[in-house]
Amino acid sequence: MKRNSVKSFMALILAVILVMGTAACTRSEDNGNSPNSPSGDNKPLPPSETKANPDEPAWKLDTSPVDLTWFVGANWYAHSWGETLTSKYVTEKTGVNIKLEVPSGEANEQITLMMTSGKLPDLITLGSWENAVKKLWEGDHVYALNELAEQYDPYFFKIAGDGTLKWYRQENGNTYGVPNDSYSPNLMHETGRSAANQTFLVRKDLYEEMGKPDLSTPEGFLNALQLIKDKYPQYKGQPISPFFAQGNVPYGMTEYLQNLLAVPYEKEGKVNDRMIDPDYIAWLKTFRTAYERGLINVDFLVDSDTQVEEKTNNARYFMMVREWTGMVAANPMLAAGANPDSYYIAVDGPQNSKGDKAKLFPGNMDGWMVTMISKNTKNPERAIRFLTYLASEEGQRDLFLGKEGETWEMADGKPQLKAEMIQLLESDIEKMEKEYGIMDTYWMVRNPVIINQWRPEKAPVIKQMEEFANAQADIESGIYKGLDPQGDSDVAVAWSRISQNWEEVLPELITAKDEAAFDKTFESYLARRTNYGFDKVMEYRQTELDARKARMAE
Amino acid sequence: MFQQRSGQIKTFLRQWQLQSMVIPGIIWMLIFCYIPMLWLIIGFMDYSIAKPMLESPFVGLKHFQDFVTDERFWRSIRNTLGMSSIKLLLGFPIPILFALLLNEIRSIRFKRTVQTISYLPHFIAWTIFGGIMLNWLGEGGVINQLMMALGLQEREILFNSDPKYFWWITYFSDTLKETGWSAIIYIAAIAGIDPALYEAAELDGAGRWQRMWHITIQSIRPTIAILFILAVSGILGSNFEQIFMLKNNMNMRMAESLDLYIYNMGLVSGRYSFSTAVLFARSIVALGLLFLANYMSKKLTGDSIF
Repeated sequence: MKRNSVKSFMALILAVILVMGTAACTRSEDNGNSPNSPSGDNKPLPPSETKANPDEPAWKLDTSPVDLTWFVGANWYAHSWGETLTSKYVTEKTGVNIKLEVPSGEANEQITLMMTSGKLPDLITLGSWENAVKKLWEGDHVYALNELAEQYDPYFFKIAGDGTLKWYRQENGNTYGVPNDSYSPNLMHETGRSAANQTFLVRKDLYEEMGKPDLSTPEGFLNALQLIKDKYPQYKGQPISPFFAQGNVPYGMTEYLQNLLAVPYEKEGKVNDRMIDPDYIAWLKTFRTAYERGLINVDFLVDSDTQVEEKTNNARYFMMVREWTGMVAANPMLAAGANPDSYYIAVDGPQNSKGDKAKLFPGNMDGWMVTMISKNTKNPERAIRFLTYLASEEGQRDLFLGKEGETWEMADGKPQLKAEMIQLLESDIEKMEKEYGIMDTYWMVRNPVIINQWRPEKAPVIKQMEEFANAQADIESGIYKGLDPQGDSDVAVAWSRISQNWEEVLPELITAKDEAAFDKTFESYLARRTNYGFDKVMEYRQTELDARKARMAE
Repeated sequence: MFQQRSGQIKTFLRQWQLQSMVIPGIIWMLIFCYIPMLWLIIGFMDYSIAKPMLESPFVGLKHFQDFVTDERFWRSIRNTLGMSSIKLLLGFPIPILFALLLNEIRSIRFKRTVQTISYLPHFIAWTIFGGIMLNWLGEGGVINQLMMALGLQEREILFNSDPKYFWWITYFSDTLKETGWSAIIYIAAIAGIDPALYEAAELDGAGRWQRMWHITIQSIRPTIAILFILAVSGILGSNFEQIFMLKNNMNMRMAESLDLYIYNMGLVSGRYSFSTAVLFARSIVALGLLFLANYMSKKLTGDSIF
């Protein structure tokens, strides 16, 4: 009996420990951010040894080996430095060895944690839309690039181009980041390349078999869906998914769809509320009708990324509101498959009642990601020189084309990728990036103006989509991208509540049982929106837009 | 009494090598569970991540007022209570039943095999298990095919797109994944029962059911009580990973639990002070529930944690 009670007591203790352990774990997660001020906050700039020449890149002054850590804010980024031909070549040339770091989860969260713990990597590349970017700048966690450049490498001013420097200049006159993939409207007019990637895609074989139905009006759209349901309900033994919208509610069904419908961003100098545009509402009602008639399912609102990939790779979608850049891998694969016509082509999608052509977002000045130099770095002079080198034509060429004689050679006075590289690009991109590391492997400071001249011709199945998007791009509309408030100010909180609510309301609209229910749900959304402080958001957008216009006019 | 206590201290000192093994665990707990509590103070400030904490202004109970007036907060309370109640009422007894049944199996090898297989799913992370569930529940998934083959439904249902199924999906998937693992504690407790008790009962003519009821269940009653107390205090908690994997815009209405709400407000929207305030309030209520359950258990069964 004694033994028994000891044992049951032990079991009891074991139970408590087990359960407490798990409970304690979950609880500690949420309080993880300890806001210590970063150690390198007010570090004075170390004196420079040699005076740099503004006409000569300064990296040549010092090519002794140095290690720099580089955080790339994309958790899917899978490349490393030091194994590819390109990276070895660049390290050998400049002495800079890079240690690439990628976030294990969300880049924004990870960099915020690093910021609070004062352990930022030397170089940081982060999506320009992430609110951590603003925090890095405002919290003085990164160097002002203009100050660093003045001291160590004035050549930076020569290559950074006044436009980009000016675009990211803060109120204190400093610029903290260099963007990649940044396009100025002038450049787009000059080259005809708009970097627009929003397209409306359909599966070529089905579309042509159906006699190229008109998808630009609600009636045509519904008729085509009916035809799909009646005649092509299945493909390869699995049900066809008639419709897909990328990025779910907040992107594919909202901003993107509004762009297709050419809903204006601005009316007579005033920011327009695109949500209440009659054409947009009419199309949402069309989707509702389609759902009611059983012509579309709600899979596009619930599918996980893997499910979407699976359906895409098996050509199970009929139409897609989807960026063509997301089809670069799938389209050639489908075209090379058993059914070579089952790839996707860009066509005219939903249009407004006036039949205007879509107004797609072009690339913009913000670019994609921005690269910064943290104040925690021990080698600010090497960091700015390396960054200058990468941004210069020489660095762009080294990263994009690799080493002369091995991956590219001069032909007619122009650098040209070797034929075997082009072959690899078409057959085995992965091998090309893993072994040679050329083209888009290291895109952190990629400048489209410089590198696009070296890009080989794209495959026709991709080119069709790209050209279609270019033709519909509204080059002036880059200025409207990302007007919404970010961060933790009151207006940003209001906006985040509104947009999170919309994510739940839109599915309700589409699955509403009749038009009256739709109207009622939409009305209550509008009321809630006002309640959350939508007026302040509109004011913010207006101020932001005016400020941007002023900057462009400078 | 005094004699006994000094005896305990002596034993403790004699076993110091063994006892000191708990120190790393205590340090871990201090660092990860207790020290972070200091930062609960940002729930009373307008904290900005770009500035040192002490420069943030105190705003008193502003964030607390904000969340009690947010209808989404109350919705998340409803969802949490709903899901937790289902788990507590229908989920809590299942591992006990499972352990009891397992205990009645004669063949040791079969018993071990069943036990091992049943707790394996526990080691699959929710990120993966959730993905499997989504496939099962989706169009063309196992569940739809099964239901249609059995004639229980006429056409495919996207279970995950209809909010009304969500609570049940969390309940069933959790039971599927965790039953075997949760049963381990009971199995361990059952293993500690003196076999002589069963032999004596058998001699006295007790049947299987009687032995199960009068000996097994009575012997593991303290364990059940403790786990029940802890389960009740965790009623405002939810399985974050599970819900995070299974939620989507369509079922968010029924899926957003308090934890997910805190996450959405804190890490997604960047309202750190606000979400800390919610978390703080939640912890206080959970502590209250713990005391309540403990008190009830002491009154009703005589077993309690403290």
